[in-house]
Amino acid sequence: MSRRPPRGEYIETDTGNKVARKATLVGTQNIMLGGKTVIMPEAMIRGDLVRTLQPSPSSSGAAPNNTAVAIGRYCFLSRGCCLRPPGRLYKGLFTYMPLRLGDHVFVGPGSVVQAATVGNYVHIGAKVAIGEFAIIKDYVRILDDTVVPPNMVIPSFSIVAGQPARVIGEVPEGGHEAFELRELYKTVGNNPQPAPV
Amino acid sequence: MAAPSSSKRHSILPPAQAGPKPPVQFSSSITIADSAILIGTHPITISTESVIHPRAQLNSLGGRITIGRRCIVHERSTVGAVGTEGGRGAGGTAEQSGVTLGDYVTVEVGASIETGDTVVGEGTNIGVGSKIGGGAVVGKHCTLTPYTVVAAGDVIPDYTVIYSNGLRRQDRRGVAELRNKGQARQIEVLKRMIPSSPAKFQ
Repeated sequence: MSRRPPRGEYIETDTGNKVARKATLVGTQNIMLGGKTVIMPEAMIRGDLVRTLQPSPSSSGAAPNNTAVAIGRYCFLSRGCCLRPPGRLYKGLFTYMPLRLGDHVFVGPGSVVQAATVGNYVHIGAKVAIGEFAIIKDYVRILDDTVVPPNMVIPSFSIVAGQPARVIGEVPEGGHEAFELRELYKTVGNNPQPAPV
Repeated sequence: MAAPSSSKRHSILPPAQAGPKPPVQFSSSITIADSAILIGTHPITISTESVIHPRAQLNSLGGRITIGRRCIVHERSTVGAVGTEGGRGAGGTAEQSGVTLGDYVTVEVGASIETGDTVVGEGTNIGVGSKIGGGAVVGKHCTLTPYTVVAAGDVIPDYTVIYSNGLRRQDRRGVAELRNKGQARQIEVLKRMIPSSPAKFQ
């Protein structure tokens, strides 16, 4: 029974992305959305923090790849979350590195993601902090209030919680269905449909 | 719960600044994003080469804000939040000190530092979403991991690491110097990336 939000709260693109007008996207030209992605109000993406060192400096001709944040299909960025590319010193120079999100990634409200890579079908709870250059594989569930330390690698099918984060369990057999975000995608936007019970 | 849904269109512009425009004292070499939020009545001082990210909030309602050299204040953090406890809130006398950040301090995303003579020492890193109460004194080269809460009036010695919901230990790696160098490198890069508009606040 969701209340119908005021008209035009979201901008819906041809590829099915739903971006709230009240989301803060900085450096939009460096943010790639795969399609069918929902960005809720007050979410923030720092696309202006692009990589300063190009991997192959002599590659003239080809346009430099300036993507700072790449997001796959059916991702869901909740209210107040923040995605920012991780940065570090590399060969004596500071550089930001691109942040990649796979498909069907849910980012809970108030979470801050500074990972290097987030795989497919990942559920990140509310108020989670993901440290710089963490790598999260597929089908991972991160519970609320978790602090994932920098550079942590979380294997597939793990359930993670704690401050600092630890693997506390495994996704049970047949538990994959819960990661699917197609239904959730339909419940927001300018013409939201009620969630199936 | 059926509240009447207003059909008015929402502006994409950031909301107008609430409160008065504070007197500022900027060094010429700082980088401050256009969408940073500066409010309050007491002076705000930012020293050389510090970086204020977009949507960071500096609030001098409860006292003056002093930011040292080569500090980085990340997006959505609040320096000088009017606290619920310990903080004096608005209406202090003219020369009250609100928050003092030493040199090379990093305030990460969504962290908040309450006002009321709060001091953060040189080289300290305040993690994502942390909260420092009013009147707390954080020593030099401390590391506060994400979502750390420092109570109002607490004193934290130099080189302390606070982690895992309040556990503390001493940092004996001796990397303070290196961390400061890294910070300087990071600021060089940020300077080129963040369009600076100090004139907007002056």
